Amino acid sequence: MSSFRPAVVTVAMLAAVGLLTSCGGSGTGAQAKSDGEPVYGGTLTYLEHQPPTCLYLPAAGFYPNGGVLNQLTDKLTWQNPETLKIEPWIATKWEINEDATEYTFHLRDGVTFSDGTPLDAEAVAANFDVYGRGDDKLKLPPAEFVNNYERSEVIDARTVRFHFGKPSPGFLQGTSVIGAGLVSKKTIGLPYEEQCQLKNIIGSGPFTVAKQVVDKEIDLQARKDYNWAPPSSAHQGRAYLDLVKIIVTPEDNVRVGALTSGQADYVRYVQAYDEATVKSAGFVVQGEPTRGVNNGLYLRPANSILKDIRVRKALQAGTDAKEVVDTLFTDNYPVATSVLSHQAAGYVDLSDKLAYDPGKAGELLDEAGWTRGADGVREKDGVKLRLGVFVAGPQPLSKQTLELVAQQWAKIGVKLEIRPADAGTQAVDIKDAEKTAVNHSMVGRADQDVIKSQFHTKNRDVILSNDTKLDQLLEEESALADETRRNEKVAEIQRYVIDQGYAIPLFEEPQVYGIAPYVHGAAFEAVGRPSFYAVWLGK
Amino acid sequence: MTKYLLKRAGQALLVLWAAFTAAYILLQAMPGDSILIKFQDPELGLSPEQIAKIREYYDAGGYLHTVLGFLHGDFGYSVDTGTPVVERLAEGLPETAKLATCAFVLAVLLAVLIAFGSAYSGRLRGLLLAVPSLFISVPAFWLGILLIQVFSFRLRLVPVIGGTELQQLVLPVLTLAVPISAPIAQVLARSIDQVLTQPFVPVVAAKGASRSWILWRHVARNALPPTLTVAGLVFGELIAGSVVTETVFGRTGVGRLTEQAVNAQDAPVLLAVVVLAATAFVLVNLLVDVLFPVLDPRLAT
Repeated sequence: MSSFRPAVVTVAMLAAVGLLTSCGGSGTGAQAKSDGEPVYGGTLTYLEHQPPTCLYLPAAGFYPNGGVLNQLTDKLTWQNPETLKIEPWIATKWEINEDATEYTFHLRDGVTFSDGTPLDAEAVAANFDVYGRGDDKLKLPPAEFVNNYERSEVIDARTVRFHFGKPSPGFLQGTSVIGAGLVSKKTIGLPYEEQCQLKNIIGSGPFTVAKQVVDKEIDLQARKDYNWAPPSSAHQGRAYLDLVKIIVTPEDNVRVGALTSGQADYVRYVQAYDEATVKSAGFVVQGEPTRGVNNGLYLRPANSILKDIRVRKALQAGTDAKEVVDTLFTDNYPVATSVLSHQAAGYVDLSDKLAYDPGKAGELLDEAGWTRGADGVREKDGVKLRLGVFVAGPQPLSKQTLELVAQQWAKIGVKLEIRPADAGTQAVDIKDAEKTAVNHSMVGRADQDVIKSQFHTKNRDVILSNDTKLDQLLEEESALADETRRNEKVAEIQRYVIDQGYAIPLFEEPQVYGIAPYVHGAAFEAVGRPSFYAVWLGK
Repeated sequence: MTKYLLKRAGQALLVLWAAFTAAYILLQAMPGDSILIKFQDPELGLSPEQIAKIREYYDAGGYLHTVLGFLHGDFGYSVDTGTPVVERLAEGLPETAKLATCAFVLAVLLAVLIAFGSAYSGRLRGLLLAVPSLFISVPAFWLGILLIQVFSFRLRLVPVIGGTELQQLVLPVLTLAVPISAPIAQVLARSIDQVLTQPFVPVVAAKGASRSWILWRHVARNALPPTLTVAGLVFGELIAGSVVTETVFGRTGVGRLTEQAVNAQDAPVLLAVVVLAATAFVLVNLLVDVLFPVLDPRLAT
């Protein structure tokens, strides 16, 4: 009798909570004055999913890092997230030679870092020398958004020129990305482990660090003398807000609950299944596109089973991306129609090649000599058709996504082994095509070079490529100076990757934010990192 | 007595050494390491040769070197953040100490309330005695979220984001205290029952002592030693519980530090945490052993 009493009480407690939750009304009112004049002042409480890691600028792609650094640093150029055009910012104008091997930037006058030193040609040159080449002595790795960099040349205090060994058409966009944030000469001269630490990052951005509790909270204070926003920005001068409190709140439902109960104003990473809760409480769910290589499964040709293109193509045909999105995600996660997002530069619609066709998948596997065993899993020469994949920590609902795909693959006789490994095992096995036949990943960047980042053997190399033709295509793409021809090349690569069965694109991964109705002016850079510069509170 | 204490202290040192060595060996045996985890980041695009160079730079220099370092109070550098381990511990320790102390006091209060409450009341007895098994079966993780949902998000009594230090402590302390109070309450209630059956109780009652007098003056004292042992052992749970509690509530502290160090396989930090936890555990149990003879004069002789 007494043995099941705890269970009964637990159920009763749960029921009580359910009752409280359902009777509590709709939270804070949604009566925001949307048409009011912007107001200065106030504190924005922003909840972040994970603590920032290393804040060395080229490592800023990790969203928790980017969310902080986007407020602390300015870039040479500004990529308009609407048009993806590159517009002036710290550089007022620029010239590029015909074959894109020489870039000359003319800098805005009077810009200073928060330590008072000028943001001049010398400082810009020092930044890009590190981002372009890395620095062995300071243990600073080069940045993936700069290709073929040779050297910088300071023409005068406000003019700087960069030279490239080979054409580098992606460089102009590269100067606008989060990782190309400009830091003071003092910061860029520090060794890696010191540039990793927030206290050492001196930028020229609209906010500076006021306080930091490691792994818990970062307070950013508006810089009163800031007066160099991108010229096309509607807001100029200092930021509207006085203070931004970035608080690390790892627990998903604590973030969402804190937002809807009025304890926070703005949160990053609202899970797909929480979107309805946030909306029904009168809050805004904002899904920002990341405009890059889609969230998908990447198949490794070096694996002894996947070396057969027919198997790869069979897996492609046997995966129903639409079911994944319909079951697990929302409208903020569009079904993939190519390797790249439909908002990416150089995108081409390949949905006809990606149709779900389990019949065709079965035929391809039969043809490749894989026959069904007694347990439903196909085998050939005594080897089971079994493939390993790691749960991808940074990807939303990666485990659930993989489980659903595993069910789909089971129908065509393929066993997908999902491994929720610790970071150490993953770091070792992810580079082993036998153990990790399939990679679940994505990468965001609003430039054609993003496809090179994902597939080139010298970059992320997610498929552990042994395909020299693919490398060659990617190198050609990254060196084409003409925009139209470059887009054609990117289209060719997308077709090639799909035709070779290297990729099973699932969906276009967004960054999803929850925002209180009284928060105005929420803006994002081209791949979905927030900018608090023009944010104001209308409450 | 002195001999007893010396023996216990010697044992304590041995336990510490064993904990350190076991942790050291286990961390070495794990696949991959913090350097690989941190620097194989595709965004950094480092070659295996470059990573090998970084590993050389961070190399801590073997077991003996590490032991000597620990003896000098030098715990090395956290690979994950590049800061000295001592600094990271100094950030976390006061927060966890606050949380754990408050939780322990509350747990003991809850336990005493439950145990003596059940000894007093006739009809509520069954219900009260079921409370420990309920408490111990509640996962701290779930309890934390439940408390937040009810008291912070629904009733809006305490904020989880911002707020004063006291407000920040209330819910985490409750979360940590509840599961810990269970074994203490269980053992205390059981001991009270046992002591109540002993022949001296009816004797005292026959002399005209009230039930309260018997419970507090005679039974409590005799029921205390086993409870104290359990309380000492429960200290380990306190450390484990702080990992979950600090993560759910987004607090800084040794628990959160441990969680992050485990994720990053940050060996220097983990070694330091193991030694710190083992030291605290050993000290508390040493204290319990020292108190024993005081409470039970039979042991002193």
